Amino acid sequence: MLSLRYRVVVALALAVVAVGVCVHLGMTFLHVAPANTVSRQHGEAVDEWIYPEFEQNWKLFAPNPLQQNISVQVRASVRGTDGMTVTSGWYDLSAEDGRAIDGNLLPSHTQQNELRRAWDFFVATHDSQNRPVGLRGALSEAYLRRIAVLRLDRNDAVRATTGGGGVLEGVQVRSRTTNVPPPEWSREKVSTTPSYRELPWWKVPRDEALGGVR
Amino acid sequence: MNRFSLALSRGIARVTESALGPYQTAVIRIGFSATWLLFLLREFPHRQELYGPDGPWSRDLAEQLIGTNGAFTALMWFDGRVWFETVYALAVLAGVLLLLGWRTRTMSVLFMVGVLSLQNRSVFMGDGGDNVLHLMSIYLVFTRCAQVWSLDARRAPRARAARIRGERVTDRTGPALWGVLGCALLTVTLVGRMQGDWLIPALLWTVWAAQALWWLAGRRAGSGEPRIVLDVVANVVHNGALLVIMAEACLIYATAGWYKIQGSRWQDGTAVYYPLHLESFSPWPALADLLSASGTLVMLVTYGTVLVQVAFPFTLFNRRVKNVLLAVMITEHAAIAVVLGLPFFSLAMIAADAVFLPTSFLRRLGAGTARVRNRVLCRRAERVRMPGQRGPGSPGSPGSPEATHVGFGA
Repeated sequence: MLSLRYRVVVALALAVVAVGVCVHLGMTFLHVAPANTVSRQHGEAVDEWIYPEFEQNWKLFAPNPLQQNISVQVRASVRGTDGMTVTSGWYDLSAEDGRAIDGNLLPSHTQQNELRRAWDFFVATHDSQNRPVGLRGALSEAYLRRIAVLRLDRNDAVRATTGGGGVLEGVQVRSRTTNVPPPEWSREKVSTTPSYRELPWWKVPRDEALGGVR
Repeated sequence: MNRFSLALSRGIARVTESALGPYQTAVIRIGFSATWLLFLLREFPHRQELYGPDGPWSRDLAEQLIGTNGAFTALMWFDGRVWFETVYALAVLAGVLLLLGWRTRTMSVLFMVGVLSLQNRSVFMGDGGDNVLHLMSIYLVFTRCAQVWSLDARRAPRARAARIRGERVTDRTGPALWGVLGCALLTVTLVGRMQGDWLIPALLWTVWAAQALWWLAGRRAGSGEPRIVLDVVANVVHNGALLVIMAEACLIYATAGWYKIQGSRWQDGTAVYYPLHLESFSPWPALADLLSASGTLVMLVTYGTVLVQVAFPFTLFNRRVKNVLLAVMITEHAAIAVVLGLPFFSLAMIAADAVFLPTSFLRRLGAGTARVRNRVLCRRAERVRMPGQRGPGSPGSPGSPEATHVGFGA
């Protein structure tokens, strides 16, 4: 039997852990549950507890799975050695990712998440006129631009456009959204004509035009 | 009332006298560290693009975002390629050592630092699997997850036997590790790199101080009361963390399931068809077509998925039903790994599921692994004909059935 002093220590530890566990589970529950009376009232306390390290989202494929293939495409504006500016054709970066994933037992995050989530991030931080909302909007633009430049560099887009040397001056990104055709055994009909969302041209800073990740 | 107080005191006795679920916590330790380790090795060629200073999510962008949310990442402490490579290498090393259960408490902290540092550096690279690892790496720090199937569990009885024989056992590695990490922690704090949210820095300092207390209590002669108290506190913390880990797994399934119920595609029984036809999640288009050829089959899998996810938390009250559902979920995740091309997400989920596996099964698994290991080692030893090398086998590989319930350091 422990002496009284140490029994008090143990009792205290028990109480702290019990309270800690209950509060943490309660906060986590409120964070993942739909907005409700309690979480609306104490939203700030919940966020204070959860962010930044306990954030979570388990709604992949819920309430409905994504039913559209969203392709992110990019084209480049290149100034050739002769001083003429040429615009390249569209590069379908999502299709490139898709091909890299095909037959791949271990798809990389660079092929499966990078572009897809960058686009989601962009959409979530921009209004329908493609105007950024807040700091995160600006960050998402820079991020998407840098991915575009990196991919263009890997495709050797400058050479392909001018047939020789040149400098990448600008990029334009667009998304192409197509409905997944309904299963053969269903009687549903959806349009399979793609819809496009075209973003404005972005200037590529000089130091970035060299290609990014080496 | 009397019955209530009796149950309460029995409950208190249970959570104070031992760290529950030694096999379950060991298997999730191995599961999560293996998942992270395999992920780091798989992404080794892409590490610069994912987390490097010149990747698309550049250091500058990361700095701005972290400035607003205060997330913990050692990668932002210093600039440059060398620091990045060092952190990546240390994350791999911590993964290996946690897997083996060497100085487990310290390694669990370093493992967490590795996971948070890389993931928080580039938050937009991750998916659900990363999210699971992120949370679990924090929770693991609070557990005594090396009571079995670890190097620590092998060392503890040896040290005890030596002490009984009257030999003096001095551990140099532990204090050295503690000193080096303490210096690092102090340096980083003093030069002001530990900015942002207070939680993780506080956790680092707390574990560091607790390690010192544990060491001091072990050295002090006398009644040994401080040591017993620390042991009890460690048990209580472990049991609390184990409860959180289990509840977290239930929350994952509950949210995934309950939100699906509200979706029209999960209601009309076609939901499973769609991910199979998304470009990012269809590595085997022919297989996807085959699986979705029958509308009835798709409907059964769709309803089955929702049913299992919603039901799982409630089946914990019945051992047999729980085990059946567990088998179903592990199988489904193994299928998802291949069919949807999500191997690391699936591995992380299977590791989380494993916390609910029954002890008897885990012990058999351990014994089986040990048998296979011994057979392989014997064969190799015979081929090489070097009897001197026929030792107890590779240390720390899962499955020494005799090493049960070994108390080990904090």
